[in-house]
Amino acid sequence: MANAFVAAFEILSFGAIIVLIVLGLGIIASMMGIFNFAQGEFVLLGAYVTYLAYAKGLPIWAGMVAAPFVVGALGFVLEALIIRRFYAAPIVAMLGTYALGLIIRESVRGLIGGFYLTVPEPIGGSIDLGTMHISAWRFTIIVITILVMAGCYLLLSRTSFGLRMRATLENPSLARASGISTPLMYGATFAFGSALAGLAGALIVPVFSLYADLGIRFLIQGFVAVMVGGVGSFIGPVAGAGVIGTLSAALPWVMAPVVADVLVFVLAIAFIKFRPQGLIAGRGV
Amino acid sequence: MGAARQAVHADVGGETDVSVAESTTAERSSARRVLPIVEGVVLVAALIAPLVLQDYLTVFATRVVILALFALSFDLVWGYAGIMSFGQALFFGSAGYGVALLARDLDITNIFLVLPAGTLIGLTFALLLGGFLLLGRHPSSVIFVSLGTLTGSYAADRLARGWYYLGGQNGIPSIAPMTLGGYEFSEGPGFYYLVLGILVVVYLLCRFLVRSQFGLALAGLRENEQRIAFFGYKAQHLKAIIFAIGGAIAGLAGSLYAFHEGFVWPNMVGVVVSTQVVLYVLFGGSGTLIGAVIGTVIVEGVSFWLSDNYRDIWPIILGVLLLLVILFRPLGLISFVLGERERVGSFGTKIKGKKNAAP
Repeated sequence: MANAFVAAFEILSFGAIIVLIVLGLGIIASMMGIFNFAQGEFVLLGAYVTYLAYAKGLPIWAGMVAAPFVVGALGFVLEALIIRRFYAAPIVAMLGTYALGLIIRESVRGLIGGFYLTVPEPIGGSIDLGTMHISAWRFTIIVITILVMAGCYLLLSRTSFGLRMRATLENPSLARASGISTPLMYGATFAFGSALAGLAGALIVPVFSLYADLGIRFLIQGFVAVMVGGVGSFIGPVAGAGVIGTLSAALPWVMAPVVADVLVFVLAIAFIKFRPQGLIAGRGV
Repeated sequence: MGAARQAVHADVGGETDVSVAESTTAERSSARRVLPIVEGVVLVAALIAPLVLQDYLTVFATRVVILALFALSFDLVWGYAGIMSFGQALFFGSAGYGVALLARDLDITNIFLVLPAGTLIGLTFALLLGGFLLLGRHPSSVIFVSLGTLTGSYAADRLARGWYYLGGQNGIPSIAPMTLGGYEFSEGPGFYYLVLGILVVVYLLCRFLVRSQFGLALAGLRENEQRIAFFGYKAQHLKAIIFAIGGAIAGLAGSLYAFHEGFVWPNMVGVVVSTQVVLYVLFGGSGTLIGAVIGTVIVEGVSFWLSDNYRDIWPIILGVLLLLVILFRPLGLISFVLGERERVGSFGTKIKGKKNAAP
């Protein structure tokens, strides 16, 4: 019983981490049609900002709060300077964002060297439930993921900002005719997606520690999750991330980890092949 | 790409319309000369390289020639057919692993067995993956194919890392050298000229292929898939065929690479090598075969040259250069010397003496 509970918690917390990372990726892919290869590096930057704050002696919380804003601002600038030129051609966008990611990753590698740098958990210790102990920080991540998810959903579905964002996605020329500044909306959407990646990086750095290839690890999993969930809506990628995260955390408990690792990808690709629209088809929120 | 499409039309029109062809003869014959010159210069430079280079540089040059062969395979798939294969290393690396296993477990190192075996492995994997991703009732989206190949390569990397039979993280070290009768191909000028010969043969085959009617259909596929489908071509089949050919060439390159380096390791099937070959081709210029070769030589050469002093910042420079090329020179460095019309070129056999027969 206790083992099963610990396993369930592990699976849930890994699923939450994947959801957190995919949120930004999914919003950018769904709303703008761009598969952002630099998203993993935005995660890395978020982690790096948190580490910097910690190394400068500031409280870790401060770094975690600052990370989304710093990365979001960077995303806004990059969108205006570079990403904007890629909207017409999705493949070129992949290559361009890959180049951007390469620059960011190697810069960070140059700054931190080849080390694994650890950042302590802001909420240490464990939560005791009778005989079972679960990590307090991982529990906090789950809670924050749920809050962020709900917040994004409300932002997109209930606010005028979300309405304008969706209008821009659905019909850019009509949106422009209605007085919405579509370039600004694209910039804001990209910045928002980057900020979510920065937040994800800040939150997971105590769990995975900081190293230059931190982002790559999650990038392909994220892409697969977005495709499985379905591009075009907000809820699709989130659902896909839940499925992929849960599967890749759960399968190693029942079979050899190597097989499980590969099997998740094979299953996902086969699923997308036969259901290209993904788990949740259609546009909207 | 709009300009490229217009050039195709103009050129195809020129082949059949006599008056257009005659009126532009002078202009075309002067514009036609650059590509053969570039190819000739590269070939001559490649032939004399081992004579002037030191031994360790010849070993490096051999590696570059093998990688150029690999780049050629990606150029066929992306530059000519417009299939974004982010997993080209899957075929490269699996062939490398395949011949390494042949050499380790079965003691087969005969060149006439291992190279066809490697090519066959590449072809088989490309047929399987390409058939799955490209064929089917509904045409696959470009995004799906590129992410599917990327995922395939990543999954293969993870498999190679975790599978004890394949050597895990360390790969398979100390592969026996390739043999021809009693002769052993070891690193040096002999191996260099062998791979250069193979590169030239494959290059000529590819050149014939992309300038044939098949190549014309491929170019049409790249520019406007729907229109090619309306012409009655089976667009998905064309894509699967070129993908398989690309996989076979990548397999050949991979088996040469395995024997040249003497070991294979998981990175060889993984995302790192997959994206590296994309870099080569984008730098040199996709859609021209020689562009892929030149891109490989430049990227590898500069990285070798800089790696002593600027090892840390070289990847950053590479990223910045790549971004600049994508933004401002989408056709690669070759487009500085090569005109749009010549890049697209002409297709099929020239109609000679039948000009009057045409209505």
